[in-house]
Order: sequence, then C-alpha cells, then structure tokens
Amino acid sequence: MTGSLRSLLEEMVSPGTLLREGEGAEWAADGAAPAAILAPSSEEEIGRLLERASLEGWKVLPAGYGRWPAGGGPVEVDLVISTRRLRGMEHYEPADLTFTAGGGISLSSLAQATEAQGQWLPLDPPGGYEGSLGAAVATGVGGPLRQWYGPPRDHVLGLTVVSGDGRVLRWGGRVVKNVAGFDVTRLCIGSWGALGIITSVSARLFPLPEVDATVVLEGADATSLLPQARAMALSSLPLAAVELLDPLGWGETGSGGPAALVLRLLGSRDEVDAMEARVRRELRGQDTLRRLGDEESRAFHQRLGLWEEGAELVLRLAALPTLLGDVVGLVEEWQAALEGLSTRGEPQVSMAAHVGAGILRVALSGISSSDGSFQGWTDPVLGLRGAMEGMGGSLTVSSGPATLVREVGTWGSGGREVALLRALKNQFDPQGILVPGRVVR
Amino acid sequence: MPGDPLTDVLSQQVLADLQEAVGVDWVFSDPHRLLVYEADAQTAHTRPPQAVALPATTHEASALAKALHRHGVPMIPRGAGTGLSGGAVALQGGVVVGTSRMTRILEVDPGNRRALVQSGVLNSDLNAAAAPHGLYYAPDPSSQSACTIGGNVAENSGGPHCLKYGVTSRYITGLRVVLPDGDVTWLGGQGRETGSFDLVGLFVGSEGCFGLATEVEVALLPLPEAARTLLAIFETVEDAGRAVTAIISRGLLPAALEIVDRNTIRAVEASIFAAGYPTDAGAALVVEFDGVEAGLEPHAEEAARCCLDAGAREVRRARSDEERMALWKGRKKAFGAMGRLAPDLLVQDATVPRTRLPEVLARISEIAQRFDLQVANVFHAGDGNLHPNLVFDRRDPDETRRVEQASAEIMTACVEAGGTITGEHGVGVDKRKYMHLVFSPAELEVLRGVKKAFDPQGLCNPGKVLPDAPEAS
Repeated sequence: MTGSLRSLLEEMVSPGTLLREGEGAEWAADGAAPAAILAPSSEEEIGRLLERASLEGWKVLPAGYGRWPAGGGPVEVDLVISTRRLRGMEHYEPADLTFTAGGGISLSSLAQATEAQGQWLPLDPPGGYEGSLGAAVATGVGGPLRQWYGPPRDHVLGLTVVSGDGRVLRWGGRVVKNVAGFDVTRLCIGSWGALGIITSVSARLFPLPEVDATVVLEGADATSLLPQARAMALSSLPLAAVELLDPLGWGETGSGGPAALVLRLLGSRDEVDAMEARVRRELRGQDTLRRLGDEESRAFHQRLGLWEEGAELVLRLAALPTLLGDVVGLVEEWQAALEGLSTRGEPQVSMAAHVGAGILRVALSGISSSDGSFQGWTDPVLGLRGAMEGMGGSLTVSSGPATLVREVGTWGSGGREVALLRALKNQFDPQGILVPGRVVR
Repeated sequence: MPGDPLTDVLSQQVLADLQEAVGVDWVFSDPHRLLVYEADAQTAHTRPPQAVALPATTHEASALAKALHRHGVPMIPRGAGTGLSGGAVALQGGVVVGTSRMTRILEVDPGNRRALVQSGVLNSDLNAAAAPHGLYYAPDPSSQSACTIGGNVAENSGGPHCLKYGVTSRYITGLRVVLPDGDVTWLGGQGRETGSFDLVGLFVGSEGCFGLATEVEVALLPLPEAARTLLAIFETVEDAGRAVTAIISRGLLPAALEIVDRNTIRAVEASIFAAGYPTDAGAALVVEFDGVEAGLEPHAEEAARCCLDAGAREVRRARSDEERMALWKGRKKAFGAMGRLAPDLLVQDATVPRTRLPEVLARISEIAQRFDLQVANVFHAGDGNLHPNLVFDRRDPDETRRVEQASAEIMTACVEAGGTITGEHGVGVDKRKYMHLVFSPAELEVLRGVKKAFDPQGLCNPGKVLPDAPEAS
C-alpha cells in the first residue's frame, strides 16, 4: 500500500513536494509512520491533493514544522501535508497595522519582517517561535501574552483554508471590522486541522514597544505567591503577562528551587518605569523583586515559550481565575497521590499559570515505568479531569504518550456541542479524512 | 393547523401553545401592537410579524422555541430593535421573540473580571453595574444607551474604541443558547477554555440565524486610569486622513480615531447638538488615548504634531472630563443631527484598509455627485470603518432609486479597495444582495451548511444574511 500510494502521489505533485522516505520521522504516531509527507508549494496543489484524498479515503494530518507532533492527540493518517513551503509574506502595509502571510511562515521570520517596521504580532504560543503561524492559529492556544493581548482568536482577521474535499475557501479579510457572513474565521481558530488546511493568515499587528522589561518576584512555592499573583492580574496596570512558575527554573535546573511570579511590562520608557514603580508599591515589602534588562527579558520569554519541551505529559487545566488556588491545591494533592505509581525515577512536576486567564499548565517528566510504558496513569488523569469539571473547569491533554492520550482523550466530554461539531465538520470535510478522531470522535 | 406565513394567520392552537410557554400576557398578535415590530432602525424593510412573544427566562424561551419548531413557524430573535440592516424583521412571517423582559444582570464577578447577564440587558446598564468595581465592558456602539447585549452578540457590534480594544467577539466568553429546536446548551463560559472549535466565536455575529442567546458571559476590563482627547480641525477630509496615517505610522495606538466631514459638521452645528465645530472646516478628527497616566501626555503631544504637520488649522485639547465630552459631542450626535437634512437617511456601513481611506472617500464623493445625492461621512478612521450616509426622501421614487444605485457602487468600490460590505451593522436583509461581492459560490455554500448545522429546518430568522441558494439545474 505504502509503495503504491507513494508512486501515485509522485505523479500528482510537483518536484520536491513529496519528501524522501525516512524524512519527517517526527510525525510517526505509535511507531507507525505515515506513508508520505508532502510539502506542497501552492494552495492549488493542496486542493488537488485533498480532493484526491477525499475520493480515495486517504487520511490526512495538516502540519507546519512538526512543533505540535502530539498536539490534539494521536491520529493515524496516510499523509502528512505540511504548509512549510507556503511561507511568504503575501501582503504587508505597515500603516494599516495588518499583514497577510502564508500559513507556513514561522513566527520568527514573521517577527523579523514586522520588527523592521516597528511592529509585532503579540503571540507566544507553546512551542516557541520556530513553529508556523498556521499552527498557532489552528491550535488557537495563547501563551503568557494573552493577559493583555488575548489568545490568537483576538488577532486573526482572515484565513484561507483548503477544505477536506479540496475547495479553496477565503474567510474574513484584512480589515479589523468585518461582519459580512458568519464568522467562520473564528470557527477555524482552534479547529486543530479538522476543518481544513490553513494556507494563509491575515492578522492585526501592534506597535513594537520601546521597552520590554520583566519583573520577577521569587517565593517558596506557587501557593505562597498566589495572593501577589492575583493582585497583579487584577491590577489596573496594563501588564502584558502575569505568570506564576513553580519552580522558576525548569528543564535544565530540574525540580526544586524557588517559585516565581513573573510580570512582563511593555511600553514606552516612561510607561514601563511608571508601571514598575507601581508594581513595587503594590508589592511593597517584597525585597526579592528584581527587574531583568531588555535583552535578558527577551531571552527569558523565548525560553518560557519552550516550557513544555521535553516533558512526557503536559496537562492544561482551566477554570475561573479565582479558583486558581484551588486548582494548584488539587494538583499538589494529586501529585502526592502519584507516589504509589511505579516510575523509573523521581517524577518531576512543574507548574506554569497564566494567572489572569485561570489556566494552569502542568508538565510531568520521569513518569514512565522501567519498561518505558505509562501504566497506571489513565485513572489519575481522568480523576483530575473529573475534579476540574466538578469545579466548572476543564482538563486538556496538551501532549503525552499516544497510548495514554488515546485512553483519556485530549478534551473532556461535551454535550449537545458534540452533535454541532460533527455537523459543522461535515460541511468542510464531508469524507472525514482530516485528523479522523480528533476534536470530533 | 400550523400558522401559514403567507397568509399571516396563526392558528388559535399555535397562539395557545405560545401563551402556554410564556404566559397569556406576553404573547400578542393585535395588529396595532405588532406595528412596533415591523422594522428595526433601518426602516427600508418592513413587515409586521404574525405575533410577538416575550419570554422572561431561558426556560420560557426554550418552551417557546419548542412550540414554534413543532408548528413549523419561524422564530425571529430581537433585542432593542436598534439594528441597521433589517435583521430583526419578520420578512417571511413568523413570530418575533423579543428579549425585553430578560433584563437581569445575573452576576458581576470582579474577581474574574466577568459578568453574566440576560441577553436583554442594555449595554449601558451593564457598564453602570460594572463601574463601581472599577470595570467596564469595552464595546461601545453609538446606540449603547438603547441597544442590548444580546443584540450586540448577534451583530458582533463595534464602536469608536475598536481600534485599540477590538469588537464584541473579543469580549464574549460564554453563551447560553436556545437552539432553533428549543434545546438549551452552553457554549463556552465559566472559564471553560476547552481549546477546540470556537462555537462562541461562531455564534457571535450570526445575526439571530443560529438560535436565541438568553444569557451572555462577558469579559470586563479595568477602567483606564486616564485619557487624553484631542480635536483637530482640517481644511479637507484628505488632510485628516493623512494625519491618521501619520499617527499610526509613528507607532502610536490611540483608543479612538474618529472623523466627521463637512456635511456632518454643518448638520450637527445647525442642530440642538451644536458642539462648536467650525462650519467652514472640511473635517474634524477626534483622537483619544487612554491608559497609564505616565505615557499619555507624550502620546497626545506627538499626535497633535502629526495633525499640525498634516495641515490642521487648530488642535483643541480636553483638560477635564467635561471638555472631553464636549469634544466628542459633535461625533456622538452626528446621526441624530442628520435627521435635519432630509426625511430619510440611509446609514451606510463598510470597511476598507485604513490606508485606502482617502481614495475611497474621493470615490464616494464622485459617486454621490454623479447620482445628485448629498452624502455625509462619519467614520471610525482608525479601523477604516466608513459610514457614508445618504440623505433622501422616500416619497421621491427617483431619488430612492438613485440612493440604491449609489449604495451598490459604494459597496463595490469598498470591496475593490480590499475592504468589505459591512463593518459593524451586519448583513441582515439589506446586504444579502452584496454577499456575492465578498464570497464565492463555494463559500456561500459552506455558510449555508453552517447555518444548517444549527438550524436544519431553516426556521430561525429565515431569509437573513445568506442570499437564496441558486436553483438546482
């Protein structure tokens, strides 16, 4: 099957589109690599491929650079179609504060182009700046900057999406206010590839702040810093990010070490100085408060973007922001209960909270047992999800071992929404070839 | 026997079932009372509904929707009727379901910067409830003292402060929705960020075609500490446009950038709303900054310089809240004042990329001249949202026809400049005929499918937004 599929594809696509065998191992799901990985050079080519795939029933995973290999849960597919060759800036008029770029442009090359004009797209999704813009939109997940700037849904003005059956569809536009027709743009943000392949994105930009400063307050643990964190998230100051990290160091420093409240201040020199003075006043008596310089601050946030890297399991817990203390407590209790599980070594648990949004990310490593499996983890994860849903919140598995994610599901259960999701997906992907089982089971 | 939309007769059985759902006092079909509901604020499209029903709770609204669905009678959701695209008119018959009894603010939750309200709550009442907590609801359509949050959700309303703060969609975090078959479901809400399909975002701006939102969870923002407001007077509207481009190009991000043109200034100054704008000026530009006190003065200074460099003859500064209100007055009262110009006013709405404003304005002026019409422009210059308003007398069929032709040309001009046919007023019935300018047949087909996912029977606000499907050949 694999050989014949590859030769069929070879005839269909332009030279260079079909990657060589063995390339793209990052998309292997459960050890079963897709039969082919393609990087088409135009939306028309993607359209032709998807039209054919719909006819033949080939299952497809849309992708950018493979920065979210496990995101959205494991799916078994025949083809991976990457947008990495659709990476051009299609339209950029700085005085409009908007741009249109190919879905495969990396966030770092986008930043390079806009920073030259004193502008930026304030998005910092997990996975860092080497991921594609299309993936940031398809996952719809925001990072620390959502405190002030909001998640991707607040930035995107328009999308070109190639539907599951190969139609090239354009939604929205490049104007900030646009209420013509239903807001399919918003529907596609966070659709995890289930509605189509995002080949082009229009979004709004912001003036690049003159100063990018970070203020760090260290403390013993997340719980002890929570009152200050909540006060900062609710202050009238336009703080760009309010993050609670426990421990402050992660990955390279391992567990242990102090926790920290991290505030990002952006603006003109006057504004940032005034904000810092206010922060110091409002957190008075906190002599461990320190400010990072511009460069140090940038580097810090770059690394923070990669916070989930290397973890074996990443959970995303969301609830009303006032419940953050309860959620942290819940995770601590849960962590204590994990001690009975047989793991290779001492499991390490790190927490990072978007305090204003009420989102707590929990990264676990060292949790596989000595035979490399993750036995015994299904019930604890489901238990934690049950507790979150009990307080009106949710638990999403951002990434984790395929066997585990398959058992617990990426998202929790839905009610009537599920029927709606299925009916909506059917409009875009009538043959159900896109990421089968993801979002809509 | 089900009601027949074509003959305007609702059977006694249908009326009885509606009364059962919401109580006898809250269903009426007396023709005199129905007249109020024959149009919204865009009075070109009129037709009284077959009946009006006013539920007070989600439960009642659900029972009502179930009854209508069972009888195959269309449901037309309606807020305060301030819409400007005919979206709440029962053009194909049916029952208007109004939210005027659903006016409870269920919760203001400062700790989570959110509020939960029934959908009939007025935008300004929500703001009044949030203010004591130092919070506000950012979207501020000009009708905010009269329009409802549910209506704002249906239209994805804008307002003068969208440049910095974005439109309604950004602030809606959850919706309790009565679907067209009467089922009740929550979309989003309670900080439940599930990270998959954004059904809340899809519902916002659906113009009553997907069901009736009965409860709305909104995000609130902290009131800005301080604001600085400028009014710059220009000889021409093109100069004002250049000032706007200069301000944005300097990396400044005002909360609002609003322009009124000569005809609008004259209408305002001749009315009871006179704001002291010079009547010989070509345009007036309102610039507002808000945020932390420390950054404001330098920003205002720089913006004032941009205006003077672009040829402003004078720049006025507000030094108090009262002065600020005075500077805004000429902008905020523009629509009210235009009533003086002629019996009828077509309030137009379109968006173009900001940098294309000068050329599009010139084209609009040329179109108006060619059709011998007077146009008064009011626009959100910061986000390229134009309101070229055409004054006319509906009793003059020739003038009415010219207004329609000019409107069509203006829409085409805006789309050709990279813009769209509506920025904040919605498609409703009024702009269905322009949808093909911005959507391909394949895209329209998907939009019809999306509508069908929510409303398989096509009973929820039928005949709105989407042009009729092409006849199968």
